[in-house]
Amino acid sequence: METQDKPVTIDRRRLLQAGLGGLGAWLARRWLVAPEARAAEASATPTKPRADACIVLWMNGGPSHVDTFDPKPGTKDAGPFRAIKTRAKGVSICEHLPRVAAEAHRLVILRGMTSREGSHERARQLGHTGHIPNPTVDHPALGAWVSARRGDPKAELPAFVSLGGPSAGGGFFGRAHGPFVVREPGRPPEDMAYGPGVSAARFDRRRAALGMLEDSFEKETQSAAVAERRAVFTQAVRMMRSPAAAAFDVSSEPAAVREAYGDTAFGRGCLAARRLVEAGVPFVEVSLDGWDTHEDNFERTKRLMGVLDPAMSALLRDLAERGKLDRTLVVWMGEFGRTPRLNGRGGRDHHPAAWSAVLAGGGVRGGITLGATDAQGEKVVERPVPVADLFATITSAMGLDPLETVPSPGGRPITLTDGGQVVREILL
Amino acid sequence: MLRRTSAWVALALLSACSGGGAGGLPSPSATPSAPRKDAATAPATTDIPQRVDALLEAEWKAAGVSPAKPATDAQFLRRAWLDLVGTLPPPEVVTSFLADPAPDKRARAVDALLASPHFAERWAAYWEDVLLRDDAKGNLVDRAAFRAWLRARFADNTPWDHVVRELVGATGKSSPGGPARERRMAAQNAAAEAEAEGVNGATNWIVQYRGGVEDLAGATARTFLGVQIQCAQCHDHKTENWTTTDFRRFAAAFARTRVKPVEEKEKGMARAFEVEDGKRGRPGKKATDEAREIATLAPAALDGTALAGEVPRAELAAWITSPTNPWFGKALVNRVWGLFFGHGFVEPVDDLRPSNPPRAKAVLDALAADFVEHGHDLKRLLRTVCATRAYGLAAGPPAAEATFAAFAPRRLPAPVLLDAVLAATRLDPWIEDTLGERADALRAKMRERFRFVFDVDEDGARAEFDGTIPQALLLLNGPLVGYGSTALSGGALADVLVMPGGDAAKIEALYLRTLSRRPTAEEISRWVQFLDEAAAASEEHAAPPNGSGPLGKIGKKRGWVAKTPRDRAYEDLFWTLLDSSEFAFQH
Repeated sequence: METQDKPVTIDRRRLLQAGLGGLGAWLARRWLVAPEARAAEASATPTKPRADACIVLWMNGGPSHVDTFDPKPGTKDAGPFRAIKTRAKGVSICEHLPRVAAEAHRLVILRGMTSREGSHERARQLGHTGHIPNPTVDHPALGAWVSARRGDPKAELPAFVSLGGPSAGGGFFGRAHGPFVVREPGRPPEDMAYGPGVSAARFDRRRAALGMLEDSFEKETQSAAVAERRAVFTQAVRMMRSPAAAAFDVSSEPAAVREAYGDTAFGRGCLAARRLVEAGVPFVEVSLDGWDTHEDNFERTKRLMGVLDPAMSALLRDLAERGKLDRTLVVWMGEFGRTPRLNGRGGRDHHPAAWSAVLAGGGVRGGITLGATDAQGEKVVERPVPVADLFATITSAMGLDPLETVPSPGGRPITLTDGGQVVREILL
Repeated sequence: MLRRTSAWVALALLSACSGGGAGGLPSPSATPSAPRKDAATAPATTDIPQRVDALLEAEWKAAGVSPAKPATDAQFLRRAWLDLVGTLPPPEVVTSFLADPAPDKRARAVDALLASPHFAERWAAYWEDVLLRDDAKGNLVDRAAFRAWLRARFADNTPWDHVVRELVGATGKSSPGGPARERRMAAQNAAAEAEAEGVNGATNWIVQYRGGVEDLAGATARTFLGVQIQCAQCHDHKTENWTTTDFRRFAAAFARTRVKPVEEKEKGMARAFEVEDGKRGRPGKKATDEAREIATLAPAALDGTALAGEVPRAELAAWITSPTNPWFGKALVNRVWGLFFGHGFVEPVDDLRPSNPPRAKAVLDALAADFVEHGHDLKRLLRTVCATRAYGLAAGPPAAEATFAAFAPRRLPAPVLLDAVLAATRLDPWIEDTLGERADALRAKMRERFRFVFDVDEDGARAEFDGTIPQALLLLNGPLVGYGSTALSGGALADVLVMPGGDAAKIEALYLRTLSRRPTAEEISRWVQFLDEAAAASEEHAAPPNGSGPLGKIGKKRGWVAKTPRDRAYEDLFWTLLDSSEFAFQH
């Protein structure tokens, strides 16, 4: 049985230095300080942007925190998994993530993630947009925000790619900023090749004829919508014919590299994500589905970690070796954690009150944990991080303004991160 | 108290134009209008379209815009088909309509569409999208039964107030949904099936909100009244004077509504629910403050009318649909106008707050008053809208669109575009012929793919074109237009290629199939030139389609009839028409 060293949590250290201690003081500060004051404080000390790109590894269904990055060996219902030491001093994670453990010096593990959303739909929306669902405001996904603020309209590749999809949409930034969804990660996107019986020359001839039709229709209707549709078609053709589009396709990678990521859709997705980021795509989401383990939790979670471990570790190492990790923020998260208590079917149910997220790379420190849950993993007892704060941190690391306010189509001002506060302790 | 007063003032302002005024506040006891059966004998709408025209012309004058030129007959017919029944007019319908010299042919065409079974299908599909949430999937909500219920209402022209009362007040059993159910219901007379099972399809609307009454209450006010009271769920509404208490009292009308599983089945099994109103329950230990308050507050309508009877939900339904309700008629009229013109008097179409003033307010008021006075008759409203001068205008400059002085072209909704491609290429019957029973599976697959790429969202009314690269790629290279435009044996192009007559006749046939109009002489000569040139580049045309994918495989089985380079050039022409904006837009 592994004994768990007490992790070095900078949170505790910093809070003690500040003469504060524990959750109560943190909450007091969070709620007593007026939002305006917090806003002023946040904007007065802008964080130095470090990341040009962000890769989100989305664990769809809600991964069990106690079985992955916040192990609780020895507690009731902890199950058969042991905790292992990692390359980060005092940090232990699940034994089924050995390769990730070997990269832990690059990770910051947030063990105090917390939200109130226990339904998949609502929590997914929150985890993708930073806002709970609102029937009157269609909040954009984080990727759409990056696309709107960082996307280059002349780029040959889309700014927001979802490998395995579906992610969340462009919201009030418009569908053009929504995800470019690839259903089979690592393969060329659908419909990129010429249609049946069509050669390049024939395609050109057709497009020339189409241009003729479009010219007269656009002139007749004087419609901006028609002009915009034509622009989207032009963009699509540019992408079809761009050499950069090869980034979607991992088949040209050496066998050893593909093997390192694992022969899985998720593994290919992580490899494609690295290629896309290298090709200049600023936001890529790769999803791994199946974490909704209401039954057979251990078997299923172990199997998923078997997929996650090589892919995530290879991605981090590969990015680092290619000198891209410093400029690429990697985020591991799902919609919530899972109950430390087992249900009657050997499963764990939804647990939004306490869960983990992991950051690595661009702009964040490595080899640390932040926050902690209680002995069972039920509640956050140290440095809780609401989802809005995580969003403020990610966007801040990317050089975006988390307090930027945009008018919704209804004309109301919307803050992009729902007033999130940057988790400064983990930023470089 | 102050807030309440302001809400009353707002209400009085809203209702002033429908002749109600502050004194004519809705009361739960208002007599519901009698059901009206639609028929060819429906009252002629002579008066109201002219009134709308006069009001709009006044708007144009005031705005200093001149209206666009009138739409051609072909434009009008295509427009009405797409709006009323969601599909393209067949070529033979176009030609006979163009040949018809009768001055009332437009009105007759509209009447015929309103009487067609496709009308009910199209409107049921639209309202299913509006009323059922995206996440109402799986087997707990029976979309098929809900659609069948809606279809029966629209087929019958059930007055809109009845429809909404049946929805808001729905009680009884629901049925388990899911793909198997969808298939069975598609194959059978779904409405009769549901009735035989003792199922009330309308309950599905309530069942999807079983998680909490807040969302149900918010959706009710927003969808049927255009009142965004759910904004007051989190905070007192800054501009509209709704308070969180207003919201909670409104939501309290649903506090007795129970959605109970009919029987506990094994885990994972589909379940049916019983929707009923019982005694007020006590909030559970884990209930939020909001839920606690909703459970204990006295229910009230938005104007403060207490809903004090045994079944507050039924009283609320009566209050919402009362002829004196200031929002109910306007909300529907605004939504319909938005569907037909691409822009409601008010946008978003479900946000009628006073600080969001309507364009052409007088028109909205007149149409809403007429709609309510005539028993909430949806078909009368549609007939009226189609008879207005504005609906019969061609496209024009954006400045004119703002006062409906020109028709604003807009992207066809994804399901409509898909159906249009299937109809124009005749892929649908072709698939049916070849695959028989397995055709449904392929169709479902195509629909799923289309839906995925287009991410169907009927609410997303945006001024700008919001298409995406995957959508463009699907049309440029995807199998649907790809194979649909080839000369598949038994497909649309194959028939055109063997038509007697020269290029002009063939080009016209393809135009009628796709753009629902005849080509101009100039277009014909340009296309003949194109065909000559494309046929000359014949060596590139040598390779037949490779026949991969499900469509390709059945194509391979049936064979292609393109024999000459010129036949191949016709494929290019057909492809171009199917990918054009003129095809993909309502205009």
